[in-house]
Amino acid sequence: MSEIKRTTCVMCRNGCQLGVVFDGYQYRMEYLMDVAPNNGRTCPRGNSASIVIDHPKRLSYPLLNGKETTWDEAFGLIKKWHQDVKPEEIAVVYSRGAGAAEIGLIRGFAAALGTENLVCGYLEPDNAFRFRLSGVKSATLDDVSASRATLLVGDVFNTSPVAAKRIIEARYADKQSRMVVIDSIKTREAGFAHIFIQPKPGTEFLVLAAIAGLIDAKLKMDIDGIANRTGVPRRQMEEVAQVLKPGVPGLIACAASTGRVSEPYWHSICAQILAFKAEKPFVGFGEALVPDGKIGFGKLKEALGAGRIKLLFWFGGLHPYSYPELFPEINKVEFRVATSIFRPENPLPGLVLPVPSEFEKTGKGESVWGEVKFEPLANPVSGTRSLAEIVRQFGTVQDIPGDLFQTVKLEEVTAQLTETLNRQLNASPSDSGDFFWLLGRKEAIGVGGFFEPEEEILLHPADAQRMAVTEGDFVKVKSKTAERLFRVKVVSVVAEGTASVGVNVHQNRTLFAVEVDPGSGEVKIPPTKVEIWRVSA
Amino acid sequence: MASVGVKVKKRLVVRLDYCIGCRACEAACRSRFKGESRIRYAPVGETVLVPLPCRHCTEPLCAAACPFEVIKKDEERGIVYQASVHCVGCKSCILACPFGVLDKELLRRIAQKCNLCGDREGGPRCAASCPTGALQFVDEDEMKELMVGKRVLSRLPFWRRA
Repeated sequence: MSEIKRTTCVMCRNGCQLGVVFDGYQYRMEYLMDVAPNNGRTCPRGNSASIVIDHPKRLSYPLLNGKETTWDEAFGLIKKWHQDVKPEEIAVVYSRGAGAAEIGLIRGFAAALGTENLVCGYLEPDNAFRFRLSGVKSATLDDVSASRATLLVGDVFNTSPVAAKRIIEARYADKQSRMVVIDSIKTREAGFAHIFIQPKPGTEFLVLAAIAGLIDAKLKMDIDGIANRTGVPRRQMEEVAQVLKPGVPGLIACAASTGRVSEPYWHSICAQILAFKAEKPFVGFGEALVPDGKIGFGKLKEALGAGRIKLLFWFGGLHPYSYPELFPEINKVEFRVATSIFRPENPLPGLVLPVPSEFEKTGKGESVWGEVKFEPLANPVSGTRSLAEIVRQFGTVQDIPGDLFQTVKLEEVTAQLTETLNRQLNASPSDSGDFFWLLGRKEAIGVGGFFEPEEEILLHPADAQRMAVTEGDFVKVKSKTAERLFRVKVVSVVAEGTASVGVNVHQNRTLFAVEVDPGSGEVKIPPTKVEIWRVSA
Repeated sequence: MASVGVKVKKRLVVRLDYCIGCRACEAACRSRFKGESRIRYAPVGETVLVPLPCRHCTEPLCAAACPFEVIKKDEERGIVYQASVHCVGCKSCILACPFGVLDKELLRRIAQKCNLCGDREGGPRCAASCPTGALQFVDEDEMKELMVGKRVLSRLPFWRRA
């Protein structure tokens, strides 16, 4: 048996230490009991490391229009395509699969190509935790253990299950300890809460703003208006404000998942405003943080839709182009180059280049608890080439680092927040019975479809009765972007008029549209309106 | 815990008040056995999901029910294990298990039986992997410390959150 290779897990930002060993036949997980912060404990995502390394669907040769080709042919073709287009017709996109150093090289690559169309393609709402409110303390592991007033926003336990240990221990440590959960789905995490608040889909940030307003009246929040809009009684928000009052050691932990958060930026900022006013440390759990490009994704989407981009490079991501819901726009591009670690399920036009997975790379990064190092758990899959090797085929490329975090000041965002709240509170009610709100659920076990196919939809018992469906029946779900078949699970964890599907598998994600805010240019994948009807299997 | 002269070395126990239902135990088992899981789980209410590991009974009914004596008890280690190559997939063990921990679905036409990761020195992977420490692999002294089977249910914080 070979030695144990160690690295930091890349599946979320908790910074867990993983071990993998090759026993001569297969890669196996090893649980490193002696290393913090997880002491061997590993969630389903972490356990997938050994599966990713030698997955049978790993791509080991370049594909041209779905057919095998050689690296020389691929590079020759890219050089030819490059000669046929102008610099402003080229776009370079990077996502979470690329490490910090690689993103620096990709920036240099875009500069060498002479294009300004350098774009961050990581559109998950957790990327909004890059925005840090000035004056808010980042939580440490000791802060988590010492917390006696914990507020969890969103599904923190499924985002970073290993972080749950300290949170639960703090919850049980003292009879006076209080845990509050705010989420539009009554998750298993909510089962631990003393106070559980279930606002209407996508309105969590309004509840956070209201609680901050109750702690500090100077914020002048329209508490009753927010109570009316979110469906959360004022009394319940006052109770939470009392729990989180300054002076009690506490923690505000936030998570955000696709199809669950309507305003990622305000979700992050409002949680931090509350942390600031309640004098609590803050931690934002997510899968990754990826720095901004030169232009926003909204502008790229517009340029793609208008056919102004003729050569597209898309680096990083578990799958080529990361978001299949963007294919209508991407399909308008004449020449396409994407990197991938897995073989695409369907043949894709253009080139798909095989690259090593994040478990086969060296580098540095940031976890929520500080800086971490990444070491390769295995040699890169035969036939793959690193991003550095790929971009250097096109001449000398400089490493141009970008800033990961952006600090914002409370006084700078207050006016903008008031405007956003007014817009939300004056929006026409959307509780019509003709459609359902579909919420995304990112359970740890659903990672990449390795363990769980995510073919179930959660429906409230009253809705199931109204539609005459029972557990195990099949329903069709139609959004404005896609239509999918699901098996019904009847549970009251979702509110009446809402339904929920897993968004770890890409097929389900196609139901949620990638929306661009016309004002700010911010990209979001919010809860979506869908029609649901019963079908025979 | 131990009776009828069987020396129990270590057992898997679940602290219900710490389980977050993330199914990391199942994922750890599946990553070892390439997609197959030998630990099951069950919902308790709508917000609680708990693992169902094999109890490795002192008098295993699965072993008694097996017509070909494929399932055996290792008296020294206290493990009920399966010599899978001889399993004919008759499902007798699945029907006999009083805790329903054996999956009714056969894989490669044989029943899947937990062997407490006998190939791993540190004990079962599910317990090592458990993110919150809800699933523990403990000896008799530790079981006494944790008051396994003795704690009054109403005192368990689990019941406060169910």
